[in-house]
Amino acid sequence: MTPESNKLLEKISQFFSNIRIGEIMTSPAIVVTPETSIKQVKNIMKIKKISGLPVVKRGLKLTGIISIEDIIKVLENGKLEDSVERWMTKDVKILYEENTLSDFMSISQKYKFGRYPVINNENKVIGIITKYDVISWLFEKLGTMYIHDDRRKKILEREEYTSRLTGELLDNKKISFDFDIDYTEIQRIGTGATKLKSFLKKKGIDEKLIRKVSISTYEAEANVVIHSESYGKIFCWDFEDSIRLLIKDYGKGIENVEMAMQEGFSTASEEVRSQGFGAGMGLPNMKRFSDKMTIISEVGKGVIIEMLFYK
Amino acid sequence: MKISELIKDKNFEKVYIVDDAINIKNGYIGDLLSEIMRNAPGESVWLTHQTHPNIIAVASIVEINTIIIPEGFEFESETIKKAKENNINLLKSRCNIFKAAGIIYTKLIEE
Repeated sequence: MTPESNKLLEKISQFFSNIRIGEIMTSPAIVVTPETSIKQVKNIMKIKKISGLPVVKRGLKLTGIISIEDIIKVLENGKLEDSVERWMTKDVKILYEENTLSDFMSISQKYKFGRYPVINNENKVIGIITKYDVISWLFEKLGTMYIHDDRRKKILEREEYTSRLTGELLDNKKISFDFDIDYTEIQRIGTGATKLKSFLKKKGIDEKLIRKVSISTYEAEANVVIHSESYGKIFCWDFEDSIRLLIKDYGKGIENVEMAMQEGFSTASEEVRSQGFGAGMGLPNMKRFSDKMTIISEVGKGVIIEMLFYK
Repeated sequence: MKISELIKDKNFEKVYIVDDAINIKNGYIGDLLSEIMRNAPGESVWLTHQTHPNIIAVASIVEINTIIIPEGFEFESETIKKAKENNINLLKSRCNIFKAAGIIYTKLIEE
């Protein structure tokens, strides 16, 4: 890894320094016993595309580590039939499941090894961690993160809402229309959107605008019913210059927002698709018909969609 | 074209009619609900193979006034109930969706 990428990793990692190694590591680790031949290890590395394996005795007790560097030494000075025990590195640096990302950062600064076995409190090898694990974990985390963790938590738990689009406070007391989404029956999709439509019609809002708002609401409502596994809410504020929509649920959340925004991407079941849903056009339609839109989501913490439509 | 004109045609059969003087100005075909909402024009007829109640909400949102299903399909009873609540006309065609579309298209063009 280059010094620049090390630096970057260090910087990003600061935000996540308290994350447990147990959450990031690859588990279970592929391990070998001391009696295994170097030839077999070489084959495992080739097939599994890994560059090092913890060496364990009975009960997953760590006794060494064998890496590609050791294999090179064998090729230079030994025989492929030799046992792992003869060539493995015995002084292994380890991390415990309960250690944090910042422990990983300091140990890898100090020793420059590529991989560290992860041990639980019974002294068993339960996983392995490399910089690659850290980077892919971080990317996944950053991919779903539109707002910093703490701020998001506030939003998800609070009843009033500060607009992510304009910064103003959307007051619960000034809500013009609200609707509880029943997620138990797919047949009920669109009930909220049609109710909102007739509400806006009565208020004499421009027909084209109503169409845009209702389509976007329908899509958001369908997503709650199809994907969230939780009830949801539709809030609408009718302001002088704009219509504001907030659709939230308390369900399983979106794992990868960017991917979900892609046209044609859907995780809907075959059954739902056969009814004409799950075309992967829901979020793209919301984006298209609203003037501004944002999604806040985290796995297991629901989804909040905010949309703004200018009058 | 008024709905009454479609009902007169032997290729179509009424299932539920709000008012046979309702005017159809345009049409659209498809089974993907999001795609319908994105592209279907208002005051239109929608030809589809979907027969479940959700199509009524889609139609009323984009102001499709008439839904037509092709031969061999039946609306679910809940769909008919919702059509009555939301003032959406329902028709069945005695031909396949391609031919049904052709007939309607020709009538609209001739106007």
